[in-house]
Amino acid sequence: MYVIVVGCGRVGAELAQLLSRREHDVTVIDQVGSSFSHLDPAWRGRTIEAEAMAEGVLEKAGIRHAQGLAAVTNSDAVNAVVGHMARELYHVSNVVVRNYDPRWLPMHEAFGLQVVSSTAWGAQRIEELLYQPLGRAVFSAGNGEVEVYELVVPEFWRGRKVGDLVAGTEAVAVAFTRAGRSLLPQPDLVLEPSDILLVSATLAGIEALRERAAPAGGPR
Amino acid sequence: MAETRSMFVLIAGGGRTGAQLASFLVSQHHEVVVIEHRPQILAHIHRELPTEVVFEGNATDPDVLERAGIRRAQVLAACMGGDADNLALCFIARSRYAVTRTIATINNPRNAWLFDAHFHVDVAVNQAEILASLIEQEMSLGEMMTLLKLRRGRYSLVEDKIQPGSRAVGVALRDLPLPPKAVIAAIIRNGEIVIPRGQVTFDAGDEVLAIVDEDEVEELAAIFGHPVPIVGEPR
Repeated sequence: MYVIVVGCGRVGAELAQLLSRREHDVTVIDQVGSSFSHLDPAWRGRTIEAEAMAEGVLEKAGIRHAQGLAAVTNSDAVNAVVGHMARELYHVSNVVVRNYDPRWLPMHEAFGLQVVSSTAWGAQRIEELLYQPLGRAVFSAGNGEVEVYELVVPEFWRGRKVGDLVAGTEAVAVAFTRAGRSLLPQPDLVLEPSDILLVSATLAGIEALRERAAPAGGPR
Repeated sequence: MAETRSMFVLIAGGGRTGAQLASFLVSQHHEVVVIEHRPQILAHIHRELPTEVVFEGNATDPDVLERAGIRRAQVLAACMGGDADNLALCFIARSRYAVTRTIATINNPRNAWLFDAHFHVDVAVNQAEILASLIEQEMSLGEMMTLLKLRRGRYSLVEDKIQPGSRAVGVALRDLPLPPKAVIAAIIRNGEIVIPRGQVTFDAGDEVLAIVDEDEVEELAAIFGHPVPIVGEPR
């Protein structure tokens, strides 16, 4: 696959190297020449020092035969404009843009582009780890708006039904494991300590489950 | 002057262009809101513009656009300092809020190619290009000024002052060797309009308004301007 990476900061350089390692052909564009120092000196792709929005630059990078473009500069507006042109004018089939400032996310959504918000996603993961919570995220969907959590059933939940635990929360039970054997959890399944429950939940959903895991009035 | 219907114009960015545009539109009795978030610029435009015209916030936040009234705006003028911001604003103004007309300023002429229907830009104002063409005209046409480029076709309304010693002085309009695609619209003499009939003769100092094809502007300027200097003549 031939891929153009716009922006050679830490994200762009890391991405370019990952793609090269998988034998893809990569060109990196950055308006500041010194940014290419983020790349490993042994990296063997093409670099272009230019503003990606300026006339002729994307063409020079070979956008007409690119199968993928990633716009990962630290300007959300530039990422949106370059991503939009790649898709609408040059019909690049895989276009992904980076969201840098989460306040810009609604604008990226208006363009209908595939967006990766490393800032929002990273902050959410760190927040979860800081809580030392019940339940660890094992899978993230989108930019972490919905995640799948693994919960080890606490003593306090003994005898409770799965359906009652998740009722009224933004959480759905998706798998259940007891003594090494998994099944799809039915709402009337009765829990025992040390059962492992996988739930798909928003941040609000997992928070609600954590509330319910603590005895009323007791420590969380 | 004919009464024009009042419009609601939303201006994104209160820098020099945005602020000037706002005060002009306010003087024409249009409803205007300028969105700006930079503290120094805000301090400046609060001195220049009525309070209700200034909306504090970042224009690239849809929530700010909505609170500033984009849903009922007839025109969005994107006058921010970044070309990508201006493009994104025009795009969202049309695609999400169905704003009828979008106008954007171009900061870097190398980005001018992007300002088209792909981002729903109806009118792009390329200040560098305007400036360059004004300088070019000043350099080549002496006193002649372009007042207006007529929107369709290649015609301009130009103004020129008849120089002492020019070919037009003392000549009747019907005898003036005008280029084929030029017509005299009015003559201004001592501050009064003189209707340009065939028998009217030109005096030095008359101001002439003409409509002319762009290919013949220089030929017209040569008739009213200073006599062409002879190369090598001692001063």
